[in-house]
Amino acid sequence: MAQMLVKLNVNGIEREVLVDPDDRLLDVLRDEFGYKSVKEGCGTGDCGLCTVLMDGKPVLSCIVPAFQAKNHKIVTLEGLNNDPLMKKIQDQFRAHQAAQCGFCTPAMEIMGWHLLNKKKEPNKQEIKEAISGTLCRCTGYYDIIDAIYDAGRPE
Amino acid sequence: MNVQTAEEFLTEIQKKAERGELLYIGKELKRIDDLEKVLGSPIYTNDLIPRNTLYARLVLSKYPHAIIKNISVSKAINYPGVRYVLTHKDVPGLNESSTIIPDRPLFAFNKVRSTGDIIAAVIAEKPNRAQEAAELVEVEYEQLKPVFDPVEAMKPDAPKIHDDGNIIKHVKVRKGDVEKGFQQADYIIENTFRTQHQDAAPMETETAFAVQRGEKILIIGSMQTPHHVQAAVAKVLGWTLDRIEVIQAVTGGAFGPKSDEPPYDVASIAALGAIKTGKPVLMSMTREESMIAHTKRHPAIITHKTGVKADGKLTASKVQIVLDGGAYASLGVLVIVRATFHANGPYEIPNVWNDGYKVYTNNTYTGSFRGFGAPQAIFAAESQMDEIAKKLNIDPLDLRLINMLRPGSKTSTGQLMDESCGLPECLDAVVKASDYRKKKKLYSKQDGKIRRGIGIAMLHHGNALGPEGNDYAYVHLSVEKSGKIHLGTGLTEFGTGAISGLAQIAASVLGVPIDYFTIDRPNTLVHHETGPTVASRVTVIGGNAARDAALKLKQKVLPVASKVMGCKVEDVQIVDGYVYCKEKKAKSLSWEELVKEAYEANIELNALGYYMAPSCKWDEETGLGSPYNQYTFGAAIAEVEVDTETGLYKVLNYYVAFDVGKAINPKSVRGQLYGGTVQGLGYAMMEELVHREGYVVNPNLKDYYIPTSLDIPEQIQTFIIEKQGSMGPFGAKIVAEPPVVLPGPTIRNAIMDAVGKGVNSLPITSEKVYKIIKG
Repeated sequence: MAQMLVKLNVNGIEREVLVDPDDRLLDVLRDEFGYKSVKEGCGTGDCGLCTVLMDGKPVLSCIVPAFQAKNHKIVTLEGLNNDPLMKKIQDQFRAHQAAQCGFCTPAMEIMGWHLLNKKKEPNKQEIKEAISGTLCRCTGYYDIIDAIYDAGRPE
Repeated sequence: MNVQTAEEFLTEIQKKAERGELLYIGKELKRIDDLEKVLGSPIYTNDLIPRNTLYARLVLSKYPHAIIKNISVSKAINYPGVRYVLTHKDVPGLNESSTIIPDRPLFAFNKVRSTGDIIAAVIAEKPNRAQEAAELVEVEYEQLKPVFDPVEAMKPDAPKIHDDGNIIKHVKVRKGDVEKGFQQADYIIENTFRTQHQDAAPMETETAFAVQRGEKILIIGSMQTPHHVQAAVAKVLGWTLDRIEVIQAVTGGAFGPKSDEPPYDVASIAALGAIKTGKPVLMSMTREESMIAHTKRHPAIITHKTGVKADGKLTASKVQIVLDGGAYASLGVLVIVRATFHANGPYEIPNVWNDGYKVYTNNTYTGSFRGFGAPQAIFAAESQMDEIAKKLNIDPLDLRLINMLRPGSKTSTGQLMDESCGLPECLDAVVKASDYRKKKKLYSKQDGKIRRGIGIAMLHHGNALGPEGNDYAYVHLSVEKSGKIHLGTGLTEFGTGAISGLAQIAASVLGVPIDYFTIDRPNTLVHHETGPTVASRVTVIGGNAARDAALKLKQKVLPVASKVMGCKVEDVQIVDGYVYCKEKKAKSLSWEELVKEAYEANIELNALGYYMAPSCKWDEETGLGSPYNQYTFGAAIAEVEVDTETGLYKVLNYYVAFDVGKAINPKSVRGQLYGGTVQGLGYAMMEELVHREGYVVNPNLKDYYIPTSLDIPEQIQTFIIEKQGSMGPFGAKIVAEPPVVLPGPTIRNAIMDAVGKGVNSLPITSEKVYKIIKG
């Protein structure tokens, strides 16, 4: 298989990487860039744990071939760790014990951040809809919903 | 804001201490282990591998039952990127990957017994190259007649799956005279209930990484019980334990299968691969591999025959449970014990006759999964209660009030319930919160197309291992010169927060805030073998060990404080990180200063805490006795709305109360009530890993539905009841597992209330509801 050189922009860093045509964006983000917050829960686009932002929109990085990400801006949780809103979300996740095993946490936080950027003070139904593509097996979602809800309220 | 003087502060905490107020118990403290999780830091097995790692993929059996005539790996080994193909021939030690009964080879070699059997593992430079090469491993089979129905498999002429018969384990309870009990009854009610394969589906699949380091091998993996994995790998390699270092990485959910045999498989394969290739190897199951090759919840066929007086008093209960064990025994040998002991529900019944069977079939194997036999047993028992109530034309709540366990009653095994039996309080909490009586009356007058119903279920749940093994734990505490306290144990965290709870217990005994604590990663070469992390036993058994360690550590620092401050040892108090003498409040030390003094006095600040639960006594033949030291109790009520034209229904409200003895961290307890309930809701309403002729039809998260955020009720109201138990620290009882049990029967009974008939098999799909309405 012919490898190709692709220029990717991830968390504001531009880098050229050598990829196979069947390399997934998920693996390139984890292995080439070292962004391990991007998780694989299924590999088939069903669980949402590999969610990253592409030009500001959530995409499932396990079903995006890496080469297709060129000319797009990719953001992972690592790229948002210094963002004030993300910090607020993370604080609320801790306050509500919304991270149990923690494996879905980065994707949940990204979906929460994406929602709160679109809509200030969303109600719980809107939060449920926003995270409905992201699976969690530990919490039953309630503490996650509450964490995002509280992060969306003024202090 | 008033600034408190040091003296005022000390007076305040001293008063608290004198009142016996616990500073860190029963408090909704933040967990001390979740900061890295919310930051997305690299903490899971897959995050920790070096760049030159090779990847393994499994070759699974093509048939549910067949003789293996030949295995050829030559095409696969020559595929680009492939480094090695492991088969049974590569196992230097014992080709075995079993927990209790040695019936499961790591690599199938002479025959296959299910489509989840592993025949080979391909090791390649990239996962997809390994995957492609796995298809090129050629296996010649001669098919054998399979058997998939466990009742069929019990018959003497059924195809034999192993050398002996297909009944792996038979568990009995014999109390009183069951025939006499049926004679005394005014009514006899008989029903059969069925449950399905449920997949635990932890968000992280079974994963292990291995790298050889000189004479040793290092394994990092996702698992519940690293010491058992160490022993399993030692067996496969033929090595001594001291050469095998197993570290539990942060684990992305577990729920039982990661205490069973699947972690043995991934660890052994990674280790063998690393030894054969000389490179680090990652064996991380794909979701599909996991859903086919790991253990699931046993499907069950449960028959109930119950005798009852016209006044609602139960006279006799005869229950038969048949668990579909699939091709291998696994920890399922113990699952049937718990199922059989809990089979009659939380009721006092004078005459009981239970038979529980775990049976081999050619389905994929089943084993440990949250609840451990209780979800099946209680679904049947609590559905039967509503069938009895219907027959007697009395309210299901009243039937329960007449027969339920209370202080002074005896269980099916004849165990006396003491004052810690909080079942009446649990039931009362959910009945009141849901306004049950009023709604029951209201819903009995419906005649429209959309109808509501309300249903109850409850349970008792024997704590910790009981008949499942020696119930002990070690917890180690050591103090750095800075004052930081390391908590180390072979018990593991996989989501519940229980290990953070151990720090809360140790903090409370020691008098030092939880922020001083840090949890070390479980490591088999560092920490004592401490039994399995199963049966929700960390808080109760590990908690006692943590308390013991903290007491021992306290005995080491108190004399130092006494010397420095010039007061008697018994007058020294440590509260909230401050050390002071009872009579000389003004003079105090901080925890850091005390630790520094201890270091300078050459006092070694570490302590090994240990706890072994009192042994449980019961008779193997009759089951009679006290198989568990204490019980957790729970009750739940669900309200549903059913569309009687389509069978579609939804759960409107769910109320759940659990008697947890003492909630060490109420926030974490609620986390278990929410999470367990929703996993139970999946089991009740939508989850089924469908096996057709031995093949898993839906081994992916697209076709196997687990609840999403849109599938949960508007809210779940939780109630924590605290009737302190005799065994756990501060009276704590276990909590993580049993919440998963109640949604099945609660929802079933609520639908029955709405439409007049009950669905006797899980999951309760809308199609089944439609059929009972129309049929």
